[in-house]
Amino acid sequence: MICPGCSCLCDDIEIIDNVVRNACRRGAELFLKYKENRATPRVNGKEVDVDKAIEAAIDILKDSKNPAIYGFDTTPVEVQELAVKLAEKLNTYIDDNSSFCLGDLVEIVLKKEVPTTTLDDVRDYAYVIMYWGANPYQSLSRHMSRYTYYPRGKERQKGYEEDRFLVVIDIRRSETSMLAKTNARYIIVKNDLELIDSFFKYMEGKPAKYADDVAAIIRELKKSNFNVIFGGLGLKYGLKDLKPFIDLVKKLNEISPTYFIPTGFHANMRGFNETLFEKTGFVNKYSFRENKSDKSFAFTELLKNDLIDSALIVGTDPVKSLPFEVALKLKKIKTIVIDPRNSLTSRIADVVIPSAISGIEQGGTMVRCDGVRVKLETIEEVEVNDYYVMNKILEGI
Amino acid sequence: MMRFTRFLKTEVEVVVGRHVLAENDAIVFIHPSIAKVAGVKDGDTVELERKGRVVRLKAKISEIAPENGCFIPNGIYASYLADLDNFKRFKANIEVSDGEVTKVEDIMKELSKS
Repeated sequence: MICPGCSCLCDDIEIIDNVVRNACRRGAELFLKYKENRATPRVNGKEVDVDKAIEAAIDILKDSKNPAIYGFDTTPVEVQELAVKLAEKLNTYIDDNSSFCLGDLVEIVLKKEVPTTTLDDVRDYAYVIMYWGANPYQSLSRHMSRYTYYPRGKERQKGYEEDRFLVVIDIRRSETSMLAKTNARYIIVKNDLELIDSFFKYMEGKPAKYADDVAAIIRELKKSNFNVIFGGLGLKYGLKDLKPFIDLVKKLNEISPTYFIPTGFHANMRGFNETLFEKTGFVNKYSFRENKSDKSFAFTELLKNDLIDSALIVGTDPVKSLPFEVALKLKKIKTIVIDPRNSLTSRIADVVIPSAISGIEQGGTMVRCDGVRVKLETIEEVEVNDYYVMNKILEGI
Repeated sequence: MMRFTRFLKTEVEVVVGRHVLAENDAIVFIHPSIAKVAGVKDGDTVELERKGRVVRLKAKISEIAPENGCFIPNGIYASYLADLDNFKRFKANIEVSDGEVTKVEDIMKELSKS
């Protein structure tokens, strides 16, 4: 089985006699508890049959002057394509979690502004492995054991004791940084830009704040022709503008091949970014009315500035995950939630439509954090899934 | 005996991030250095206040928090304190509290009243 728990999409999960093998804690919980806390179809708080709920959703979207389509990071690519179609048909906004998560980092990869690679090649060839603002111990529990620091690969047969060099850059002593002991370096930063600046200054022979750390990293980079940087949310929020980071990756590539992979997001967030990118040339916060992407079209900004009167929210829980001011605004507009589970957002929604859990009850394709496409398997197929609901809504509009 | 630190309010840096086991828990990880300054002991209930919003969370003294600060797992408690301009990193005031920890229902009630 493929685990749909995070963007690692681990492909070695076995379920035998109700025992989940190889999965991390989050993955195992997904498989063991997928029947718990399931959503039921509701309109204005009253339970209805699912087709009635879908009809109510269609009515809201038809009556709406400015609807927004939001979420889809846990649904397969094929459902994301239906979401893009719906946004186009409604001539309106579409966005996902990546506009406040790692969309910017995926975008620089899709636009080929930095060189990238796959996790499989990282396992086989990478020497310096840098986690920048990422804490895989919590966000991608098997990342280090399957692909990066710990496994032996084709040209990395001696393991982490000799054949890997781990660098962890963070503003705090994360659990991942505590693992940086053998052949490793942990750098605590107050300001990511200062570290980037130190790299450039050191390479120009000037005094630099992080000179010792930078010297050690560059010394190790030179030992290999395959190195990788994994950028997480800390990198995104640590820099207002990604240009200095892009320039740094280019500069490091003058020393030794150094690839970049964005890391630590929802199972198919990259799938959403790639789906929208193929259609529009942009990864998120897109308006079909304006034919462009803009910061002001981010779901959070649309709500903040009272620019939408309804929202179709799929497979995500903004009341839980976004600032409270977003929840307050969300409550003032018509909301439709499509989700396999009861969520905090579903509790304030006008319409709730239950769906299936990707990779357990519905198949399709997801895109791993490194861009590799993975076919999902199922334990049991259910009829009312995201395909069923989205196709019905598309037909009804 | 009344603890003197009950009246001590300290400004701290709060970092928000993923924590697999504690994402739905009313918990805050406090760096030992700030716990000492604010008089917080492991297991205390602490009140975090920011821009008029208050949550009470169970304190866990841990070095995974930033120096001179706290770490709150992604989830409704962090979301309640955050705003769009300071989403994953912000400053808040912390003090030891007598009250019960904030429940998800308390925040949902406030939302439903609005």
